[in-house]
Amino acid sequence: MKIFNRSLVVLLFLILYLPIGVLVVNSFNASRYGHSWKGFSLQWYEKLWHNEALMQAFFNSLTIATLAATIATILGTLMALAIYRYRFRFKAMATGMLFVVMMSPDIVLAITFLVIFLAVGITLGFWSLLIAHITFCLPFVVITVYAQLKDFDPNLLEAAQDLGASESRILLRIILPLVLQAVVAGWLLSFTLSLDDVIISSFVTGPGYEILPIRIFSMVKVGVSPEVNALAALLLALSLLLVTIATLLTRNKAKS
Amino acid sequence: MTIRTLSASLLFLFSLSAFAGGKVVVYNWAEYIPDGVLDDFTKETGIQVEYSTYENNEVMYAKLQLQKGKGYDVVVPSTYLVSKMRNEGLLHPLDKTKLTNLKHLDPDLLDKPYDPGNQFSLPYLWGSTAIGVNSEAVDPKTITAWQDLWDPKWQGKLLLTDDVREVFHMAYKVLGFSTNTTDPEQIRQAYEKLQTLMPNVLVFNADAPREPFLAGDVNLGMIWSGEAAMANAENPAIHYVYPSEGAGFWIDSLVIPAGAENVANAHAFIDYMLRPEVAAKTVEAIGYASPNLAGKALLDEATRTNPIIFPAEDVIRNGEFQQDIGPAAVELLNGYWEKLKTGR
Repeated sequence: MKIFNRSLVVLLFLILYLPIGVLVVNSFNASRYGHSWKGFSLQWYEKLWHNEALMQAFFNSLTIATLAATIATILGTLMALAIYRYRFRFKAMATGMLFVVMMSPDIVLAITFLVIFLAVGITLGFWSLLIAHITFCLPFVVITVYAQLKDFDPNLLEAAQDLGASESRILLRIILPLVLQAVVAGWLLSFTLSLDDVIISSFVTGPGYEILPIRIFSMVKVGVSPEVNALAALLLALSLLLVTIATLLTRNKAKS
Repeated sequence: MTIRTLSASLLFLFSLSAFAGGKVVVYNWAEYIPDGVLDDFTKETGIQVEYSTYENNEVMYAKLQLQKGKGYDVVVPSTYLVSKMRNEGLLHPLDKTKLTNLKHLDPDLLDKPYDPGNQFSLPYLWGSTAIGVNSEAVDPKTITAWQDLWDPKWQGKLLLTDDVREVFHMAYKVLGFSTNTTDPEQIRQAYEKLQTLMPNVLVFNADAPREPFLAGDVNLGMIWSGEAAMANAENPAIHYVYPSEGAGFWIDSLVIPAGAENVANAHAFIDYMLRPEVAAKTVEAIGYASPNLAGKALLDEATRTNPIIFPAEDVIRNGEFQQDIGPAAVELLNGYWEKLKTGR
């Protein structure tokens, strides 16, 4: 039984990580097609470095993902707090609408955004992309943070109030440290969602601002080159770094 | 880095207005114009190029339609979309007096039914859909026609492209119909013909048919010329056969959307792309054929005479170009297509 369990775990990890492993190995493969190993080479990294359009799209994607995740996390955390702590008119509606945004198929959001941006006269590009990304990331942050707030002992807040803590002090010294894990998770989730998005982005971006996923999908026409493997390996390294930082951040807080 | 890129992006946004008089916005597939060509164009003309990409024809079409043809100055749709966009008034007519390099284009690829007289479009690159054969497993001499794919000995062995128009093209040609037929009876007959092909099909491939050929998973099936050229360069055993009933042809064309804001610059850009030396560079980098005869003459012998890239004239005449067949026929085809793929 134990052997069975262990082999199941090994199998699961193989399924999860083998494709990623192949991709990383192929980013160092001298062969263009990756069906056979033709020697170690850094040529794809070098080509990637000189592929200005691809690098620009990569940095644009990182910019949008960082900004969208940060803004969505701030707004989303505040919104989750509001839903948890206060009673206000249209509260049920506001909460429900978040689910509508989250559950809407991307293509519906994409067309909606484009029609609104055209009607309001926002030039398609950086700003339209940022607004759209913040919007679709927001519900995920609210739900992650709210889920943690729900499990939290309200007596703590009353005790703080009894001891004379101001609202802002309660927020900064008590609530935030306790939900930090969820806030970080919400940020990471938003960052990934934003970096991944193709459908909404292809509709709301304009000619001056190109992002990575659209560029890669578009490369299918002439054959996706192994530079993309190199880029994906770099992105993987970046995600590992982010996850490590997040783990360290939340672990330290939990200890203290 | 992020802050730097952000400020760079903001700067870029503001700088857009500074170049308002001198830019051209190109909407195209990624890397479908070779490295350096855009920079050279800017150096020579002072016109800035904004290059934006889409991942398929349908996204490009939807976006242009929603924006009423605004936002982009040059777009590169495939054949069937040119006729559709033209019919819907999404294209700006071309001013031929501004296109001095028009004379280099192959007359055989001009004035096609999807845009008679090339009022709205000029061919940029073109290619074909025909049969790929790996000579390590199948003797290429035994495969000469689409009909050969119906041979029962290929049971569970064929690759078809995941494209309804291309797959129906095979059946139409075997039955002697046009690839652009809208006759429900002919479409039904083609469907029945294709039903008998399904037992031979191993896989439908949507984006890179060369991969299964190179991996050795498939030794016979449909493939596009550019993919075949790449596969052949990697493994010379992979051959490309133009079937005797006629291959399928497509052209990607340069057009100007109806709402383009920089029409004069768009003409300058199209004319630049039609220069022989630019056309030659494009073929070398991308592997599809250019309709530019003067450009073809500049290519090296091996590329110029590569029959995968440049088929003989009678092969082109024998084949047929796709065009828009209207919503009714498309719906009918899609219905049959679902049935074929789900095996009912």
